Amino acid sequence: MFELFTNMMKEEWRLHSTMFGSISFALFPVLIFAIVFMGSFLLPLFRTTLPGGDLAVIVTGSFILLGVMVGGFGLLGNEVMNRRFGQASLLAYSSRSLPIGERTIFLNFVVKDIVYYIVLWVFPFAAGFIVASPFTGVSFSNCLLLTLSLTLSFLTGLSAIFLLSTLYSRSKVILGAVLFIALVVLGILLYSQGINAISYFPPLMVFRQFSYGVTFLACLLIAVPFTISILIYSPESTGNVKKYRNMIPFLSEKLGFFPVSPLVAKDLVDLWRSGGGVGQVLFSFLLPLGLIWFFLAVLGTLVPPVDVLLVFVILTGIISATMYTWLTSFDSFSSYACLPIGVSTLITSKICSFTVLQAIPVVFVSLVTLAASGSAYLVPSLVLWCSITYYALAVTVFLTGLSPSVLVYDVKVLFAFLVLTGIPVMVIIGLLLVSPYYSLSGVLLGIPAWILVHAGYRRWDGKDVATF
Amino acid sequence: MDHIIETTDLTKRYGNTTAVDHISFSVRKGALFGLLGPNGSGKTTMIRMLTGQTRVTSGSASVLGIDVMADPVGIRSLVGIIPEQETPPSFLTAEEYLSFAGAIRKIPDIAEVTSWWFRFLDFEDKRDVLCKDLSRGTRQKLMLAQAFLHRPVLALIDEPLINFDPVMQKKVKEFFVSYVRDGGTIFISTHILEIAEEICSEFAILDRGKLLYTGKTGELAEKKQHLPEFFFSRLQEESHG
Repeated sequence: MFELFTNMMKEEWRLHSTMFGSISFALFPVLIFAIVFMGSFLLPLFRTTLPGGDLAVIVTGSFILLGVMVGGFGLLGNEVMNRRFGQASLLAYSSRSLPIGERTIFLNFVVKDIVYYIVLWVFPFAAGFIVASPFTGVSFSNCLLLTLSLTLSFLTGLSAIFLLSTLYSRSKVILGAVLFIALVVLGILLYSQGINAISYFPPLMVFRQFSYGVTFLACLLIAVPFTISILIYSPESTGNVKKYRNMIPFLSEKLGFFPVSPLVAKDLVDLWRSGGGVGQVLFSFLLPLGLIWFFLAVLGTLVPPVDVLLVFVILTGIISATMYTWLTSFDSFSSYACLPIGVSTLITSKICSFTVLQAIPVVFVSLVTLAASGSAYLVPSLVLWCSITYYALAVTVFLTGLSPSVLVYDVKVLFAFLVLTGIPVMVIIGLLLVSPYYSLSGVLLGIPAWILVHAGYRRWDGKDVATF
Repeated sequence: MDHIIETTDLTKRYGNTTAVDHISFSVRKGALFGLLGPNGSGKTTMIRMLTGQTRVTSGSASVLGIDVMADPVGIRSLVGIIPEQETPPSFLTAEEYLSFAGAIRKIPDIAEVTSWWFRFLDFEDKRDVLCKDLSRGTRQKLMLAQAFLHRPVLALIDEPLINFDPVMQKKVKEFFVSYVRDGGTIFISTHILEIAEEICSEFAILDRGKLLYTGKTGELAEKKQHLPEFFFSRLQEESHG
């Protein structure tokens, strides 16, 4: 099936490069390389405040998170292909007309994604570090070990998500049970007296205490979940067709305070029935934030806890803004092309649907703040989170319109996003170091957010909307 | 308004490819107009420009007196559209999609209207099924229903009968004819010439983005010519010319 794999790789490349040009997309790994290369020169600075071991933990955690997010995005239930590829006809559907089994296609799809994202993300990261190593004093062998460790970390995150998502597609009850058991075991390991469970994480051990045995164990930690995923993967059954009650009139009425409430009603129905809602909350929101919280906790020994909390709230705001991607990833404008709906109207409805979804992070931020610091910082946390999330949303709308998930790989767009969100975030973090109550200054982001959204309306209304 | 659609030197280019090449024609109010041509002749692109789904490269077009570049959403509020590929939202049921389209178009008594369409097109048993689980023919029925929910003065339909069985084709053709008789205008794009000959009052022929001919099917009938033969002879003349 090498032909299938190579053609899937070609297809993935053309899918992205036709969106924003081959050169723009090809520059994306170059951008990653450049960021890491320049960031490597800050290592001596990091070492004055953060032990090298903790830095390795943070970077390892980041790559696990990357694997989780890459695997989690679009890999839920049997709607993998439809949700990610919309109306496009792709090699993933080859089993309809060619003698190729769906499991074979799924396996090739998984391997293709692994290779593709390692080349796109992991190797440029490692290359930036390796090229900087003569100047930063890091040995070449350490660089190679780091590359191996990060690759294994990425694959561990990816394989875990593949397993969880295939379990999810087979039985939500089994998934729930597996997650519960995993959390209990993790909790026992992390909070057992005298055991630093993190240091026994195999991909991290590959970097810290390399041995072939540890490397084999790390590979096993990846191969077993992958193998189980492939074995239990189930193509969609065409036996029983489910029927549903008409929810549009009811929801449109309940959401009548929103402009274009039928569009919002449709989004919520779509999100719920596609299985995207629960899955996205788990894999694209809670899991990444759990990992971020865990690794920020490492900083708790170095900076005041309230500052850690508020930095976490800022990161939650940015992660919350990605819920806009949840609402657009399953939708294609071709569904609306027959109706009197312009792009700006659709964007408005997505923002309204996004607002409904923010009930999840509101609860999350509130609980985390109350647990970490009591009620004193509840209002500042919520104001800060709200400001950041809507500002990041506005930047996303302006830069990407209705296609945030694909256009993020456009180097120009990614750079603009990093600059437009990074600068205000850095300013706010600086203010927080003076006083946590400066978090309330986040409301000022409402002004540029409003401007960006309306500029986005004008910008995207004037363009042909890509449809397959 | 005598002409419900008018184009002047209408052109659409995609990079180096000219999909529609300086086309000027008009569609009379009350016509059942057929836009004919081989695959890739520009028919779908023409409909997409007339409905504001894709921008015009040069030239002009108006639908119901509205410039397609100035107010594409306004045009879509007045006309009914069936695209080439049936694309109702995957996770809404058939009934929900019609409720949704009716709510967007602010159609009163939408429940009654949708029920009528389910009975008329004989897919009442599919009303609670997700669109992604419908067969292509049923999705086509659904798109037909959504296009006519608001009884538009003009309907633009790309390949209207392609997924229908012979019984449904007959029913839909009869519907189109009666709709036009009752004052509507229908613009269909098709490469099935027999359908055009049977129901269209006027037609145009496209080939490789260019307009080869416009005329009335009645005129051909008077000369005892059949549309398919006329169509092929025009294409041959063009390729030799």
